[in-house]
Amino acid sequence: MTEYSALGSSPYDAARRRGRLGARPLARSSPVRRLDWVLLGAVLLLLGIGTLLVWSATRERMLAAGLGPQTYLKRHLLNAVIGLALGGLVAAVDYRSLRAYAPIVYVASAIGLVAVLSPLGATINGAHSWLVLGGGFELQPAEFAKVALVVGTAMMLDHKRAGEAASRAGPRDGDVLLVLALAAVPMGLILLQPDLGTIMVLGVVLFGTLAASGAPTRWLAGLLIAGVLGAVGVAQLHVLKDYQVKRFTAFANPAADPGGAGYNTQQARIAIGSGGVFGKGLFHGTQTKGRFIPEQQTDFIFTVAGEELGLVGAGAVIGLLGTVLWRGLRIAGNAGDAFGTIVAAGVVSWLAFQSFVNIGMTLGIMPVTGLPLPFVSYGGSAMFANMIAIGLLQNVHLRSRKI
Amino acid sequence: MTSSVGTRERSRVAARPTAPTARRTPPAAPRSLRRSRVRLGRPSRRLHVALAAALTVLVVLAGRLVQLQGLDAPAYAAQAAKQRLRTVAMPAPRGEILDRNGNRLAGTVPARALFADPMLVVDPPATAARITALLGGDPAAMEEKLRRPGRFVYLGRGLEADQVDRVLSLGLPGIGSLSETKRVHPGADLAANVIGFTGQDGNGLGGLEATFDGVLAGKSGRETMEVDPAGRQIPSGEHSGTPPVPGSSLQLTLDRDIQWQAQQALVAQVQATGSRSGSVIVMDPHTGEVLALAGAPTFDPDQQGAAPEAARGDPAVSEVYEPGSVNKVITAAAALEAGVVTPDTPVTVPPTLAVYDRVFHDAEEHGVEHLTFTGVLAKSSNIGTVLVAQQLGKTKLYDALRGFGFGQSSGAGLAGESAGILPPPDKWSGTQAATIAFGQGVSVNALQMASVYATVANDGVRVPPRVVRDTIGSDGRLSPTPAPGRTTVVSPKTAQELRTMLEAVTSNEGTAPEARIDGFRVAGKTGTSQRVDPTCGCYRGYTASFVGMAPADNPQLVVAVVLQDPQNGHFGGTLAAPVFHDVMAFALQARQIPPTGTAAPTAKLTTD
Repeated sequence: MTEYSALGSSPYDAARRRGRLGARPLARSSPVRRLDWVLLGAVLLLLGIGTLLVWSATRERMLAAGLGPQTYLKRHLLNAVIGLALGGLVAAVDYRSLRAYAPIVYVASAIGLVAVLSPLGATINGAHSWLVLGGGFELQPAEFAKVALVVGTAMMLDHKRAGEAASRAGPRDGDVLLVLALAAVPMGLILLQPDLGTIMVLGVVLFGTLAASGAPTRWLAGLLIAGVLGAVGVAQLHVLKDYQVKRFTAFANPAADPGGAGYNTQQARIAIGSGGVFGKGLFHGTQTKGRFIPEQQTDFIFTVAGEELGLVGAGAVIGLLGTVLWRGLRIAGNAGDAFGTIVAAGVVSWLAFQSFVNIGMTLGIMPVTGLPLPFVSYGGSAMFANMIAIGLLQNVHLRSRKI
Repeated sequence: MTSSVGTRERSRVAARPTAPTARRTPPAAPRSLRRSRVRLGRPSRRLHVALAAALTVLVVLAGRLVQLQGLDAPAYAAQAAKQRLRTVAMPAPRGEILDRNGNRLAGTVPARALFADPMLVVDPPATAARITALLGGDPAAMEEKLRRPGRFVYLGRGLEADQVDRVLSLGLPGIGSLSETKRVHPGADLAANVIGFTGQDGNGLGGLEATFDGVLAGKSGRETMEVDPAGRQIPSGEHSGTPPVPGSSLQLTLDRDIQWQAQQALVAQVQATGSRSGSVIVMDPHTGEVLALAGAPTFDPDQQGAAPEAARGDPAVSEVYEPGSVNKVITAAAALEAGVVTPDTPVTVPPTLAVYDRVFHDAEEHGVEHLTFTGVLAKSSNIGTVLVAQQLGKTKLYDALRGFGFGQSSGAGLAGESAGILPPPDKWSGTQAATIAFGQGVSVNALQMASVYATVANDGVRVPPRVVRDTIGSDGRLSPTPAPGRTTVVSPKTAQELRTMLEAVTSNEGTAPEARIDGFRVAGKTGTSQRVDPTCGCYRGYTASFVGMAPADNPQLVVAVVLQDPQNGHFGGTLAAPVFHDVMAFALQARQIPPTGTAAPTAKLTTD
């Protein structure tokens, strides 16, 4: 609050005052009208498709377990509603005031990650990445670490510019080092779980934000090299569990061990391939109904789209995700300041990497890393984090120079 | 869209740095800025690169999607069908085997099989211990099964449903059950030698179960269903198939009660005499229907695996032996039919008779005897029989043997039947022409021999024996077994004369008074023959037999009793005739055959 009142003369602030949220929703200048509706539309469509796919993927499983077939549908809808509310909240608060909250968000997520490693943490599906809150609620702090890293890096790389006009051309080496140190904390904590997928997402977010901040190319090159060395180190030092290594390499030759590590990829390919051009129809996927694909409602949700909705439906999902990324990059380009650009670029890096790796793994051209598909997969923490990310994008969009 | 990002970004980057710096130091600004821009990255260009990279990845993903779903879709669809559709054979219910009155001798009931997927079994020793605690058996053997390679092994078959449910309720990983059927035999070993047995998959392996397998088995159906990865059927999945066609049931000619009595009497006598094996046959001579066909040793078809292979056959048809004196009825029939002798023709029997290189004796030493032809038969004189056979000639003897069914299968359709050995007359050795007349040097099975006496009982008309009366389809329709061809072997007059002569055998002067039944007239013939030991191909031990009919003046039943290699005594009259008596007496009662009320004629055995 204090920060933007100090900048009271800013034109963005004037615009914000003119269109106080909800005051005149349909007025030309109202924030609701000025939302990026293409982005929001694509996200809502993905949420809708995802809801149907999660329902389809879990109906038979629930029936087989003697539970209500709509158990997951209801939870997923609740997650989506909470997610939309969180996103709306994040979009409503001027992002420049978010800078003030950035340290809090960062510290809170770090505490969450430490808590996971404490006895409060729980292991679900082989990953010790859950925080059981009781009452049937669980959180994956690693998901919120993504938000924290985006906002935190943006703050570190930009916070000086408002006052120091001379340095606005880009971050200095010291800033970059500070950011690397900042990122090292959550990455290190997640490595202890270990959750390779999330570490890679954080690495990509780091790379994206640095690139968008205008950091020197040598830093980016250095980061890439560090990533490769880190991967080699992880493999050499046996940080990963055996199953993770197997899962990771199985994509190359799933037929070698179809009963074991290659099973998921093999089954995913069969489900998608057998869907053909128009699919078998929603709720009519034989592989889905037959529960051939493990983790189908989370990491392998795209197989339901492939099998039941065919090339048309799965292509539409890819197209919608592409739309989200395009709008995100557009918002990054149009942002009112470097902070906005960096936040948007961080969000896009995150969503892009997860989408590519997830779809790539279900299609058998990328390793199985256990990353959910944004907006489509089942999972509360991921849903909340993704919707907060969209809220950040809308926030930056609402306060950009040109609308 | 590329342009929209581009233009705005370019203008921003261009405008923002220049404006403030220009205000401070206008001349130096462009240079330092240019340098700094070279040193630092250019966000706008990077965003362009990012967009291009994202687009490229999206195109790659879409291309892969087109490859999987457009080009390779048929192959994947086939793979999907292969792993989710399971076709299982639906076994057809196997037909039952019933006795002539519809009593069940063999039937099929639902049962369960317990199996393991050794790959999923977690703790083989503990699992084996808990299963054997409920099912019994050796834990070590069970553990060995649970450790076998592969993904399927039977732990138990033909089990009761509640037994299996108790094992499954333990929730042991890797243990499952299947529905199957089990062959049951309410009479245990009753007629087991005839019925035979089935394998664990319900396929006929012995006896009628094997020879009539095609009739009993039916036609199994097929069921195609959708299954999940664990092999469980998906309730809402597709479902198709052809139903099985149930097998037909066999109705036998056997009478359960007579069969039981015959079996009891036989087993008791085989044990008492220390015989190697034995058989008892009860026949209706008019229809050829076998009312009982007992074999010893026998077995329990529910546990056929525990029985030695020798016990699982049917000795009445599979075991051939030299019939001995029982065979003299054929020599007599041929001689009477040819008119060479009449029952009263005097035969002078010397103490010994030399034929070619052998000297024949009778069973008991005697001087020169003056017997009638009836006396020759009643006293079972080998020498007398050879003398009559020499008058008859070997061709006529051979024709009679063939006519009575020697050297050919009895036609009953029983498993494992051996036709016996009857060489053609031109192959007979000099002594063989004589020995065949009294039943050595020729071999038959017990059913063939019973059929000879049935022919005599049926006024010389041979009706081949049979054990299957009809088949009953699953729809309840009865298909009678085609009536066997009847052949006239000897004239009714000859048959009648033979019966009178055979009745003398059971007289006090004959060889088998033990065969007599109170109130009934009984005709028959003893046999005490040298037995060929197959291990040495030489004569070693004896075959004691008795074949007879009752009532002698109007025969309704024929009973044959054969004991192989008895250790306590060897005369047919003393070992086999008592069994004949017990079985025939029971069968007459069971068949409600009344005594004829006539008195036996007093036959003249000697001419003195």
